Amino acid sequence: MANAADLASLATTHLEPWIFYAASFLTIPLAFGVLLDKNIIRAGFLLIGVFGGISALFLILQAQFLAMAQLMIYAVGITLVVVIALMLTNPRLEYETSIDLPQQRMPAITTCCFVFLVLYLCILSEGWSSTSQATTEDALTILGKNLLTWYALPFEFASVLLLVALIGAVMLAKADHFSPDDISNDALTTSDLERNEDVVEVK
Amino acid sequence: MWSKSNSIVVAYVFIIALLVGALVGGYTAPLFTGWGIPVEYHNLCALEVIIVLGLAGYFLGAEITPIMITGSMATLVSLTYGQDPLVRYLTLAAMLFSIGVYGMTVSRNAVRVLMSIELMLNAVNINLVAFARYVDPGMLKGQLFAVFILAVAAAEAAVGLAIVLAIYRNSSTVDMEKFSLLKW
Repeated sequence: MANAADLASLATTHLEPWIFYAASFLTIPLAFGVLLDKNIIRAGFLLIGVFGGISALFLILQAQFLAMAQLMIYAVGITLVVVIALMLTNPRLEYETSIDLPQQRMPAITTCCFVFLVLYLCILSEGWSSTSQATTEDALTILGKNLLTWYALPFEFASVLLLVALIGAVMLAKADHFSPDDISNDALTTSDLERNEDVVEVK
Repeated sequence: MWSKSNSIVVAYVFIIALLVGALVGGYTAPLFTGWGIPVEYHNLCALEVIIVLGLAGYFLGAEITPIMITGSMATLVSLTYGQDPLVRYLTLAAMLFSIGVYGMTVSRNAVRVLMSIELMLNAVNINLVAFARYVDPGMLKGQLFAVFILAVAAAEAAVGLAIVLAIYRNSSTVDMEKFSLLKW
């Protein structure tokens, strides 16, 4: 009688290449679609599919926490920001007449094929001592302990970086510059206060 | 002669190229003995056939997009089939990285360039998680670094898109060709 552990080992040994190829056949055409789709808003939504395929790859690599974090941060958060930026910079959501520069296309393809070949030969020439041993059960515990003990300083720096990025993004994207005097003079006028009182009375 | 939109033909041609390349690769492998390439990987020689057929399809008038998509998928299969699992993941990550480099160099829309950068960061994440799985399954250092990359990617997306919005407000375009403020 096969228990769950036997089934899991069977899945990792036999099904893992097939799931890998399925996820990569989902990811690669969608990545090309992100780059080459004439409708830029559709390209932004295809990004969700790319990140979903990559999180499926994380799942078969036994990194469940990172797969969920990938879905939440990339496929929802960053894609949403990208789509909002697309809507702001292309208000009528029209098709682009030309997505790339034809005179740069063939040199770029040649360069990228060369980059890929060099990377692949580097990967092959290295003798990896990979183990087939499963990752530890309490991966989340190890991650949390490391983040708060050995990697506490980079963790704090990451939080400071996020704060600075938020403030900087607001400062950069803000429409017009206004001084604090304008707020104190114009924000709360008597008419606003009266309107508020009216609302309260209606309630 | 193929029509411009006849992309299904190109897809079938690449599947045939995959099969032929696996056969031809075994015969042409001894040619590469002096090159320092590890020749026991006969799959590398399937690349010759894929590249030749891709160029032939391009010059016969097929569209370039299906050639790139089917060619990269055929390349991935022919280079990783039967390999070590770690090599498979690293090859996929290298391919996604190259796709990101391509998009970053040719795209005209500035937001699309930022999307390409996200693709490249994700390729690095795949590398790190694969290392954590197959090299270091006990301590999971790779997953830790992937967490930090997630944070940096979020910050990069926010600041980059804010810069794109600021440029759009000043010059009312996001075309990379028209950003010539720094040109002499």
